[in-house]
Amino acid sequence: MSIVDLTSMGESQVALRKEINERLSRLQDEISDYCFQCAKCTSGCEAHKLLELEPHKIVALLKRGLIDEMVNSDIIWTCMSCFKCRERCPQKVAPVEILFALKNMAVASGKQIPGKYTAMLQSILSIGLIQDVQSVMTRDSKTLKRDDLGLPEVSKPVDVAKFQMVLSKLAVEKV
Amino acid sequence: MKKYALYPGCVMPTEQYAYEQSIREVLPFLDIELVDIKGFSCCGEPMKSVNQLMTLYLSARNLAIAEKQGLDLFVPCPICHLSLSECQRVMDNNVEMRDRVNGMLVTEGLKYEGTIGMFHTVDLLHDVIGVEEIKKHVKKPLDGLKVATHYGCHLIRPSEIGRPVDSENPQKMETVLKALGAEPLDYPEKLDCCGAMLSANLPESALTKTGQKLQKVQEHGFDVFVDVCPWCHRMFDSRQVKAGETVAAKLEVPVVYLTQLLGLTFGVDREKLGLNLNLSPVDKINLGGK
Repeated sequence: MSIVDLTSMGESQVALRKEINERLSRLQDEISDYCFQCAKCTSGCEAHKLLELEPHKIVALLKRGLIDEMVNSDIIWTCMSCFKCRERCPQKVAPVEILFALKNMAVASGKQIPGKYTAMLQSILSIGLIQDVQSVMTRDSKTLKRDDLGLPEVSKPVDVAKFQMVLSKLAVEKV
Repeated sequence: MKKYALYPGCVMPTEQYAYEQSIREVLPFLDIELVDIKGFSCCGEPMKSVNQLMTLYLSARNLAIAEKQGLDLFVPCPICHLSLSECQRVMDNNVEMRDRVNGMLVTEGLKYEGTIGMFHTVDLLHDVIGVEEIKKHVKKPLDGLKVATHYGCHLIRPSEIGRPVDSENPQKMETVLKALGAEPLDYPEKLDCCGAMLSANLPESALTKTGQKLQKVQEHGFDVFVDVCPWCHRMFDSRQVKAGETVAAKLEVPVVYLTQLLGLTFGVDREKLGLNLNLSPVDKINLGGK
């Protein structure tokens, strides 16, 4: 099974569609009615100035039922999870967590996972870490490895087969 | 002597060696012993955008491994620290989820019990060790060095989950730095994000965030920029030149880990603190003498 199959749940698209729709409407119910569009989240949003993410608008659009549109939008992938919106919301709405949920849904619905996320996931599945030990450069352009620095061996899953078994199962489970 | 299990995460032990080197050099001075444990994996936080259940499972897995040792965890990475803290919160408050995750942990012979505590570099230094103890070991004070601090978003927010420092006015690093003789100063961009979490899918934008913050730090005239997160450091130090290109600025800001500065004041050899691995111009300033 490839990574894409694992994350997109390649089979049974009809059941999947239904499941996702159910989850979408649940999300709509869960999104707090308490948001009164003060836009404090957007005023502090780290992704706002640079990438035009407007968390308060995302919340408003979701409440109007435009959930599919949000799941399929690239804008949800501009959040840099600084958690300022969650910290500062006077109504405890936490747009950052809503964005995580939307991104999870985009992945579960089979949308291509953007950027290096697939590579990171693959690496976790094979060695337990998002990347393997790297060689690094010193300021005077010498290449050094972890061993050269007298550091102990990196902590990784010992029984890799068992570790992979759980994780592969988890990758196809519903979030 | 206090003992902690080291949870290294991914970025520090595979790439940000200077942080690990300086931690291992400095903590023994302060009567802290670190225990290395086999079997840890990624904390799961980098996968939160893809699959939150995986994030929760991976964090619970690591906590369960640490629990077997009966030692509190030392977690130097704020990303891991938040992921593990959030996992504890979910597992301790949501019985259904706890049972579900424990059901999966059985495969590896693990079980989450919720018996251990957790510290990051900043609260370990400030709350557990304390500045009075730190002061005792300072041999070469950083007289009047103007320092800008950067805590990292995951270390300070969301306070609802319980973070080691205040979310809007963090001062613990400043207190430690003052004990080293330095002069830490607040600046308007202090709480700005480094952008690292965008590196996976929007690397240019991530670098722009880094560049924008560093440019301001440079304009304010700071001598050195201090961080405590391997993700942030990778942006501010390792990728500083590229970050500068995104904002059309020649950035020359010395960036160091807090533990590297501590080591210098304690009189530890520069190379042992990994200072040869900092790619930003750390030679520019006379950090604790040559």
